[in-house]
Amino acid sequence: MEISAEAAKLLAVGIAMGMGAIGPGIGIGLIGRGAMEALGRNPEARGPILTNMILAIAFAESVAIYVLVVAILLIFVV
Amino acid sequence: MTRNRLVAVMALLTLAVAIASFIGGSVGALIAGRSPVALLAVGAPHIELPPGHPFVSLPITNTLLATWMTCAAITAVFVLAARRARLVPTGVQNVVEYVCEFASGFIEEMVGKEQERRMFPLVMTVFLFVLVNAWFGLVPGFETLRLNGTALLRSANTDINVPLMLAVTCVASIELWALRSRGFAYLKTFVDLRELSTGLRCLARGRMRDGLVGLFYGLLYLGVGFLEFIGHATRIISFSFRLFGNMTAGVVLTGVVLFFVPLVLPSLFYGLEALFGFVQALVFAGLTAVFAYAAVSSPQH
Repeated sequence: MEISAEAAKLLAVGIAMGMGAIGPGIGIGLIGRGAMEALGRNPEARGPILTNMILAIAFAESVAIYVLVVAILLIFVV
Repeated sequence: MTRNRLVAVMALLTLAVAIASFIGGSVGALIAGRSPVALLAVGAPHIELPPGHPFVSLPITNTLLATWMTCAAITAVFVLAARRARLVPTGVQNVVEYVCEFASGFIEEMVGKEQERRMFPLVMTVFLFVLVNAWFGLVPGFETLRLNGTALLRSANTDINVPLMLAVTCVASIELWALRSRGFAYLKTFVDLRELSTGLRCLARGRMRDGLVGLFYGLLYLGVGFLEFIGHATRIISFSFRLFGNMTAGVVLTGVVLFFVPLVLPSLFYGLEALFGFVQALVFAGLTAVFAYAAVSSPQH
């Protein structure tokens, strides 16, 4: 069965983005869960908790952004 | 009509307009095999990654024009605020002072009082630059006004050069601050030869066990230091791609949503874009401050 280059490229983009978003998605959910638990325990520490949560989410999200950039590169440059 | 009923009617009307634009627009036309209604005909999203040159002969890209606009806007606001400054601030001066106080407190929370003085200029500038760049990209006219086949203005964060420049500046500043604060001892985080030299000395004196243990840990610490160096270097890539990826993904998403449901729905994504711009600016500046604090403070081995 022959796969053309175009079809292989599209398949690669779909698989890359799909599988690449699993990890960061779960990671961000875990961070949010930790933040919610901490907030429930100590509502007065709201400021630092939320600040650190945003920073940690940015770290986790940047992995998904790497995958997105690879996918965009595959579609438009390769 | 009571207020609740009025709200319900307005909501239903909005929903009806949205669904009508979906059916009458490009997607409905594709499904039904006819041409879309003239006002709702939005072309399929077309993404150009490299920045275009609206003035064909001059080497000025549309993102460069956007950065000029950003710089002019920020400078204008601060000049207006500082003109005839009063001890008790009013008007523009009040707003600008509030923003600066807020950012200063935010940074001080993260890095402590002495370091905050040194980091505030860079962190605040980066934050304002990224924020105003991102929000200018939402102004009507950006990427829709066309000149010579390409957009006249384009959000500056979607050109990989701008995030790359910011990332290189921030990482270089972090290393420079660390070197200034801790002197050349900072380089011990990358290359730590103490354990290795201890191990070799023990071997030379014939204490095999201590020598081998020292050798093992020395090589291990060398590996750790090398990984640390790689981690610092990849910060440039992670900073730039985080900002570039978020902004480009936002532009693509907005284009796709405009293609699918031309009315009503894009305003929701507009708000999302504004939020993302703010969060990315905060993250860029905040991560710079956090990394700088980690590099400047002495390690607790």
